Parts: sequence; structure tokens; C-alpha cells
Amino acid sequence: MLQVPGDGQIIREDNVTHSFCGLACVGWMYQKIKDSFFLVLGTHTCAHFLQNALGMMIFAKPRFGIALLEEGDLSKHEPSLEEIIAEIKADHNPSVIFLLSSCTPEVMKVDFKGLADHLATPEVPVLFVPASGLVYNFTQAEDSVLHALVPFCPQAPAGEKSVVFLGSVNDATADDLRAEAEELGIKVGGFLPESRFDRMPAIGPDTVLAPIQPYLSRVAVKLERERGAKTMHSLFPFGPDGTRAFWEDLAKMFGIEVDLSDREKAAWEKISRQTDLLKGKRVFLTADTMMELPLARFLHSAGAEVMECSSAYINKKFHARELQALEGVRVVEQPNFHRQLEDIKRERPDMVVTSLMTANPFVGQGFIVKWSMEFMLMSIHGWSGVFTLANMFVSPFDRRSALPEFDRDVWLEGVMPSAEKVS
Amino acid sequence: MRLAFWLYEGTALHGISRVTNSMKGVHTVYHAPQGDDYITATYTMLERTPEFPALSISVVRGRDLAQGVSRLPATLQQVEHHYNPELTVIAPSCSTALLQEDLHQLAAHSGVAKEKLMVYAVNPFRVTENEAADGLFTELVKRYAAKGQKTAVPSVNLLGFTSLGFHLKANLTSLRRMLKTLGVNVNVVAPWGAGIADLARLPEAWLNIAPYHEIGRTAAEYLEKEFAMPAVYDTPLGVEPTLRWLRSIIEKLNEVGAGCGATPLSMPALHDFSLDGMSAPSGVPWFARTADMESFSNKKAFVFADATTTVAMVKFLRDELGMKVIGAGTYLERDADWVRKELEGYLPGELMVTDRFQDVAKVIEDELPDLVCGTQMERHSCRKLDVPCMVVSPPTHIENHLLGYYPFFGFEGADVIADRVYLSCKLGLEKHLIDFFGDAGLEYEDADAANETGGAAGNGHSSVGGSTEGEGGMVWTGDAETMLKKVPFFVRKKVRKNTENFAQESGELEVTVEVFRKAKDSLGG
Repeated sequence: MLQVPGDGQIIREDNVTHSFCGLACVGWMYQKIKDSFFLVLGTHTCAHFLQNALGMMIFAKPRFGIALLEEGDLSKHEPSLEEIIAEIKADHNPSVIFLLSSCTPEVMKVDFKGLADHLATPEVPVLFVPASGLVYNFTQAEDSVLHALVPFCPQAPAGEKSVVFLGSVNDATADDLRAEAEELGIKVGGFLPESRFDRMPAIGPDTVLAPIQPYLSRVAVKLERERGAKTMHSLFPFGPDGTRAFWEDLAKMFGIEVDLSDREKAAWEKISRQTDLLKGKRVFLTADTMMELPLARFLHSAGAEVMECSSAYINKKFHARELQALEGVRVVEQPNFHRQLEDIKRERPDMVVTSLMTANPFVGQGFIVKWSMEFMLMSIHGWSGVFTLANMFVSPFDRRSALPEFDRDVWLEGVMPSAEKVS
Repeated sequence: MRLAFWLYEGTALHGISRVTNSMKGVHTVYHAPQGDDYITATYTMLERTPEFPALSISVVRGRDLAQGVSRLPATLQQVEHHYNPELTVIAPSCSTALLQEDLHQLAAHSGVAKEKLMVYAVNPFRVTENEAADGLFTELVKRYAAKGQKTAVPSVNLLGFTSLGFHLKANLTSLRRMLKTLGVNVNVVAPWGAGIADLARLPEAWLNIAPYHEIGRTAAEYLEKEFAMPAVYDTPLGVEPTLRWLRSIIEKLNEVGAGCGATPLSMPALHDFSLDGMSAPSGVPWFARTADMESFSNKKAFVFADATTTVAMVKFLRDELGMKVIGAGTYLERDADWVRKELEGYLPGELMVTDRFQDVAKVIEDELPDLVCGTQMERHSCRKLDVPCMVVSPPTHIENHLLGYYPFFGFEGADVIADRVYLSCKLGLEKHLIDFFGDAGLEYEDADAANETGGAAGNGHSSVGGSTEGEGGMVWTGDAETMLKKVPFFVRKKVRKNTENFAQESGELEVTVEVFRKAKDSLGG
């Protein structure tokens, strides 16, 4: 647990963790971009992961699939995907095919970029998306998808000042954010990604990029470099505090001064029952979705005591404001889960925010638990998301107090014989 | 290379972790990139484990590969420090197998005592779930089983019961109850709930019971060879197989008992096996003979499952419920020969062997059976085709991990399966009434279904004079469509399809009333 010099408050460990790989992004990205197909070049493991862990069993015609590398394919220099691509085009007629890398072909040093270029046609582009667990945490693959979409965002002319929101959210949330911006007098250029491939937003030197998810730093940097766009560095729009900072800072980039303190105050009042309950509660966040920093900051602002906030990767520039707001809170990058487990057992936090791999075992140990992945699937952005966000933290407490007393010696007997004492 | 959407069998890692997650004091370390331990979620979510499954990942990062760094030794040290397992099984992932890393050497670098580590270096590109699970379990039995004094009273080991098994706990309970009624002790259940010490005392039992062809059988064969332990390999699914299973256990235990002068066991009165101790142990034999079940003689069933279940279900449906089995298959290619041999004389055609669910769905679509017994995937395919389906086999799904007692094994299992068959199929008398009187007021179900699928039947296009296109691309005249609507809704789809096939074969371009009548005549109504 060495303090890395120059890293301020961030403690860096060795990432013995429980989280998914980038292929998980298929779960929400294929639903977001409705005329797409997601093709993973991978192994049986990748297929098993997608069908099991994500519960994405089986749809009539899923718009994702695995080009399955079998033993015989390992010795080939370059995998041949022509037939598979033809099959996908015939069955699904997508406007774009995303070709996702996975660990095995990366170890094989498959030239994905070349492969994708070779398979692309003017009608149906094939875009390479680096997604393997060798390099990326699971939410970061969305960053890779957006990265691949950049060439398909039209060039916005200089002087056309508008905001492009970075991050995939559902249509209702997108409408809310758009309406909110317009009300402040901010011109909206669109969202990256939009829900159709041919409607990606125009981006140019006077585009302001407003990231609404905390795991999209690479695409922001790419757009700054290639298009001269400017990235807003603010809090992410979660909770009354984050939402206020987000809109005030965004307005400022458009030369508009607004004071949203009343709005923030009203939002806190709306969730006063929830914050009363959260006040003083000791919360521990294990690393999973990379949404941990803004979630911890909201809890901190709501009066909870964040015992530890850990995240797979922390980008000091992209997350600067969140880190600043977390001053004094223990922040760990690449945490070691074994160490965290010991700390949690010893310190007994009131709530553990953790991945779906570890949620039930923590409940079994008597902890109140919130699944981290749920924060990705609920509308928690902006003013309209404040109530949902606060409730997500409060409902596990409410539920626990609504259920009768639980004697684990009685009710867990025989549930998991392997965890019972060796006789 | 092929395009896959869904696979029946899991990976080698899945098989390995199913065994170690079943066991006490055994940890698995995956040497793999982040995300490969998604496997953990299958236990914590499907089995709702109240403790952490003993699985850790030794993360392989791209940067480590570039720098030639391996975190495996450090991870093994951490596992030793935090959990102190009796044994840690080290397993490769696709990527690390490809890199041909020497896991033995890396493990030795950890400084953890050699006898506490086991490298199980299967080739993840060649070996899949069941083979890996059976292989690892056999390795563990070989490593730890030790000669010991036989138990004083007749006892058995139950082998092959493994985490995420299909209705695992209920099956186990059903067998335990029957063994108790016989007066036979259970020495060890493995791997489910067994520790290393339990594996050591496996040879103390008089007999091994290994009812799954996929997992546990090889270990029982080893114990038979090395420790001269007899074994029963039959699957007690269905009433007659359960009776044979019980007789076989009694016979084999008595052979062992004769050697030490023990009192021979005998078959108790069968009502002793019932839940209340005073009734028939199963309702199936009488149920199958009742008058309304006669209609089952004409019911066509299709079975697609793992090897054990395919064999047992085909026999149960035909031998005990008197149904017609029109076909069967398995996704376990390596067990296909065994299934063929077991089902000799049971199937009208070849056994289907494939791991492509699309092929299975195609057969179901072509045959439109009255009942499909399959996996979650067949349930899904059948839902689209409106074919009754019951799930009888892994891969398991959250819906197969219910709280109630629904065994498939033993007398109680026979009742559970028969009930499910009954509820899944269209019923006897009710069916006759509906056939006779038409829709019996159930028409709305069809309208709903049609709306969902955007089909033609309920959307007004079928007005007299117009024409619609059937699913097979064949055009139906309005009159023919109206006539089709008089067919009971639950067979309408099948009639439509058969009629279209008939029309196509006779070179018709559309289905008119006349073509429909001819089809009915030719197809027997």
C-alpha cells in the first residue's frame, strides 16, 4: 500500500479485483446504437461471459455475436472474417459493425485495425473497438466505441458554438439534458453517441465537450487533438452538487453566468429524508464501474462518511474536480480486493457499494449492500435524476429495516456447504 | 471460426470452478486477464452464495506481458495469507495458455508449499466444462483417496454432485431420503460440500453412486479399479429406473456385507419411501394409466439435453408416460456414443449431436412436437414457435435455482417431472372439448399473439376478399384465412405450416379454400 510520490491523496495498489472486462459494454452499447452490430473476435470464454454474467441470454435476433476462435484458428496468421461478416449483413443489415478485440487475439497480435479496414465497405463500415481485459476496465470499452465513432462525426465549422454531451444515456435522460441546456441558453450539438449511426453529432473547434460519464477520457482527448474541441472539466452531473457545478461550468464556457444555488438547495430539500438517513453513515466503495468517484462525492456531500472510494483507473486531469471534492477521503486506484475484504470485515461499514460478483457474499456477512452496476442502468443524471440517485442508496437501508431479524446460523445453513467449517 | 450467439457448455474454467466452489478448503486461482473471473458472478448470483466463492484472479495485464512480469506468485502468496486454503488449484485462461506460461514454475516461485498447490493446466481451447470438471474431480480423488477401514454399517459415497448442477440440492435430498429408508449411511458427498479429508476417506464406503454420466463417473471407475469399490452408475430418474437403482444398491451392498458377515439388507415396503410413509411412493404408474392420459399415446416429444438427461428423459417419456419420442439429441459430443448405445431402439432416427442451438430450433420448427424437453435455449426457441417446452437440463439459469423441493431423481422426481409434462402439454379432456367446439372462448390469446408478432390473423387484413402472406411467404386468400381461424388457436400455427408445405409441394402459388380443403384431406384433418 505504497503512497506514490506526487500522487497526492491517491493510493495505488495491485488490482486483485472482481470486475468485468470491456466486452461487457456490448450489453448497453448495442441497445443504444440501434442500427449496429457488435462482433467480438474471441473465444468460448467471451461467449460464456456474455451469455452468463450479463444475463443477456438470448434474444430472437441479438445484434451481437462472437466470431469464435477455435483451436485450429490459433495457428493462422490472420483470422478470416469475410463469411461471418456476410452472414451478419444478410441477417441483420446493420449500418455499422463494431469489431471488438478480446484477450486471446490480442495475445496473438491480430492486426485489428488492418482487419477492420479490410472488412469495411463504404456502405457498412467495420470499426475496431479495443475491449480486452488485458488493458481496459469494463466501462472503458464505451470509450473505445466512441473513439471509433469519431471519424463519423461530421466536422462542425469554426464559429459554430455548441455542446456535445459525451456518454450513452437513454432517450429520456438525453431529452432532459438537452432541454436543460437550451433553457440556460446553451446550443446543443448532440450526443456522442446518438442512437443511430448516421446521426452522430458534428464536432469542430468551437464544440464544447461535456462528459456525462466518468470513464470517457480518451475520446475527449482525441476530439481535442483532432478537432480542436474543448472539454469541460467539472463535476459529473450526479446529485444536486454535481448537477449544479456541471451546468454552471458549462454555461460559463458559453459566456453565460448563472447561479444555480437555489436550484441546488431545492434539490437537496427534495431528498432531505434520504440525506437525513445517509448522514454519518459509513460507506465503502469497491472498484467496479469507474463511477465510484462521483458517487462517493455525492455521498460525501450528502453527509455520509466515505471510508474508502476505490476505482480501477483514476485520471488526474479528467477526474480533477471530483478528486478535489473528495479531499480528505481515502481514494484507492487499482485496489486489492483481499485487503479491502479484511478492512471491511474489521471496520464494519454501514454500506458496501460493490459489484454483482461480490454483492451477495457481503450481504451474507451482514452488510447492507448496493450493486454498483445498477448505477449504470438507472436514470441518475441531472436534476431529474437526483431523487432516483438518493433513493438507490437509501432503499437497501429501508429494505433491511422492513425485513424481520435474520439469524444467519439458522437461515444460511446448507446454502453453501463449501463455506461451512471443515469438520 | 464460426459465428456463435450462445453455447450450451461452459468453459474449462467454469468446470474447474464448479468443482472447487463445491469444496471446502479448496481455492482456485485463475491466471487470467481482468474479467475472466466473471465466473464468480454465476455462483454469487445463481446460487446466491452467502460467502465469497473461493476464487481469486491473478490479473494479467497487457503491460505485465510487455514487461515480462507475472503476478501469479504474489497472488498465491496473498491467497495463502488471507484464506490459508488446504489446496489451491491454479488454472490457466485462454490467453495464458496461448502464451505457454509455465504455471508450475511460476507457482514454485510463490514459496507456497508444493503440496498445497495443484496446477490444472487443461487446454481451454480443447477442453470444455464437463470434461474439465470430471477431470479435475478425478485428479483430486486420485491425489487424496486413501486406504481405510470400511465403515461398520453399510455406506455409500454420492459422487458427481457439483455446484450449479441441475436441481442439485433437491436431487441430493431425494437420494438421501431413499438411502435413509434403506438403512444406508451416506459416507461422503463429493465434490458438493466435501473437504480434502472427506476425499481421503472415500474408500471407507462400501459402494460408490455416480448417477451423472458427465461428472463423477471417472472418479468412481478409478475407485473401483484402485480400491475395489463397487459402483452404481445408473440414473434413478423415473419409477422403474429408481426401483432398479435401489435393487442394485441392495445387491451390491450385500455382496460387500457378505465378506464381513453383515446382516443383508432387503427392499423395504415401497410405501416406506413415500413422504407420509403410508402411500405409494410415486403417483406416476397410476397417473399414466388413467383414462384421460390415453391421449398421451399420440403426443410427440423431442428431447435435447446433456447426456445423462437425454437418456433418462427419453426412457421416462416413452416407458413410463407412454409418449411418442420423435427425436432426441445432445450437445455433448464426447458422450454421444454412450447416448446412442443407451437409446438403441428408442429413437426413430439418428441421435442429433450439435452445439448449435439454431440447428435444434430448426428441428423443432420442422417437427412442431407436442412437447420439447430441453435447456433454457430450447425453451426460448419454443416460445417463439408456441411449442410447449419444459427445461430439464443444464446449462442452468436463475429460474432453475428455485427455493422449493423439485427433484428430478427418485420417486418424488418422477412425480415432479410427470406434473411438468402434464402442465406443459395441452390437456386431455380439455383438448377434446376445444377441438370439438373450436375456440372455446380462448380466441383472445391468439389475437394477442398475433399482435405481438405482427402476424396477419388479428390485424384486419384477413377480411374476406383480401389476401395475406403466411410466415412461409405463401399467400392466403381471405376465405382461406377465415377458414383457418376456425381451427383451434393452439394448433393453428401448425396447420398453417402444414398447409403451406402441402401447397408448396403441390405447386400451388397461394392457399385458397380449395387448397386448404385438399390439404386437410391429405394430412388427415
